[in-house]
Amino acid sequence: MKTKTINNLFALAGIMVLAFVFMAFAFPQDGQKKGAAWDIPSKYIKMENPYADEDLNKVGKMLYSKHCKSCHGNKGLGDGPKAKQLETFPGNFSSEEFQAGSDGELFYKSIIGREEMPNYEKKITDDEDRWAIINYIRTLK
Amino acid sequence: MKKINTILVIFLLLPAFIIAQEAPKEKVKSKPVRAPFSCPTVIDYQTVYIPTAKTLEFVIEHRFDKIENISNLFGIYGSSNIRLGANYSITNKLSVGYGITKLRMLSDFRIKYNILEQTRDDKMPIALTAYGNMGIDGRSEKYFGMDYKFTNRFSYYTELIVARKFTDWLSIQVAGNFSHINRVDSLMEHDKFGITFSGRARVSPQSSIVFNYGIPLNISAIQEHTTLTNAPQQNFGIGYEVSTSTHCFQVFISSSTDLSPQYIMMENQNDWTKGDLFFGFTITRLWSF
Repeated sequence: MKTKTINNLFALAGIMVLAFVFMAFAFPQDGQKKGAAWDIPSKYIKMENPYADEDLNKVGKMLYSKHCKSCHGNKGLGDGPKAKQLETFPGNFSSEEFQAGSDGELFYKSIIGREEMPNYEKKITDDEDRWAIINYIRTLK
Repeated sequence: MKKINTILVIFLLLPAFIIAQEAPKEKVKSKPVRAPFSCPTVIDYQTVYIPTAKTLEFVIEHRFDKIENISNLFGIYGSSNIRLGANYSITNKLSVGYGITKLRMLSDFRIKYNILEQTRDDKMPIALTAYGNMGIDGRSEKYFGMDYKFTNRFSYYTELIVARKFTDWLSIQVAGNFSHINRVDSLMEHDKFGITFSGRARVSPQSSIVFNYGIPLNISAIQEHTTLTNAPQQNFGIGYEVSTSTHCFQVFISSSTDLSPQYIMMENQNDWTKGDLFFGFTITRLWSF
């Protein structure tokens, strides 16, 4: 009698484990969604990069490491250690689609931000530093 | 005659126009150097760095027990000292803060002001920051002996920090400081001048090796006792720092268990040359408003 009860318990436990496994397949995770198209004001689209020809790579790399790398990853592939916690994929900076945007567009996306992409106007106050990051992102293609 | 007058007037006014043409030349403002330090503290002391205006810092400082052997897991299993603090940058140059420390149940109020910033063009070769704090010992009255007064609990620390970012990877600072504790044991002193050296050597874009060294000065002119009993020891610390956009982490070894600079300067009995060292860490969280 006792053995039968134990067997039944094992069977029940087995069924529950199987049920969980099936449920995992039945309700797959949504995963990260791709970010919707950006609505960038024309002022930014036309914005000139005053430091486009300057060698700010060292500064850009340092600031990128400090502010951007944890989500966007070392090479801008959107694979930083915090990226998986985000609802929206943080983008692939090496892609042609991303690099096709003007410097002003990148400036808006990087410094002004939206939703999960934070605003950096208060953290990176110097204009030269802001553009140094844009210049560095350009090297990630 | 009228013609001559007109010519004369034009002639007299001409320099004004010439000068006026030159006047609107834009004055180029020197920019401050980029991040001579990334964190508001360097192990046991303050840095010249003040986060941008409207930034709130939450600081967790932790010091383990003396590093002995594996049986106390190098101090981690022993008693510890903890400080929890919050600082707020009112402007880019001024921050104020408050904190509580386990040891002495100390409350401290602090203020930090950036007097000078080192500039990229070297017109100003150094940064100069003033720092002051006031501590209130929160323990029971019995710790203060006879004739207890509330002011017995007060202690003060003021300091002027001079820093220079020498290269992209190396920043050094030297500070002169004065500490005062209102009520001390009969053989201890109330006042002490000191010097601290500290610095940061960047090893990657985000991480650095940090170090500090504090020297209490035994100046006979202001010494209360001809021979010092339990003279305070020099304080040594070395560690590793990582700073991100919103955090600053430091893991280090230091010879002080105190987390308030006045007590480190006046009461530190740990001699680092004899192996009195402690593991510690500081976590700073930054929020921008």
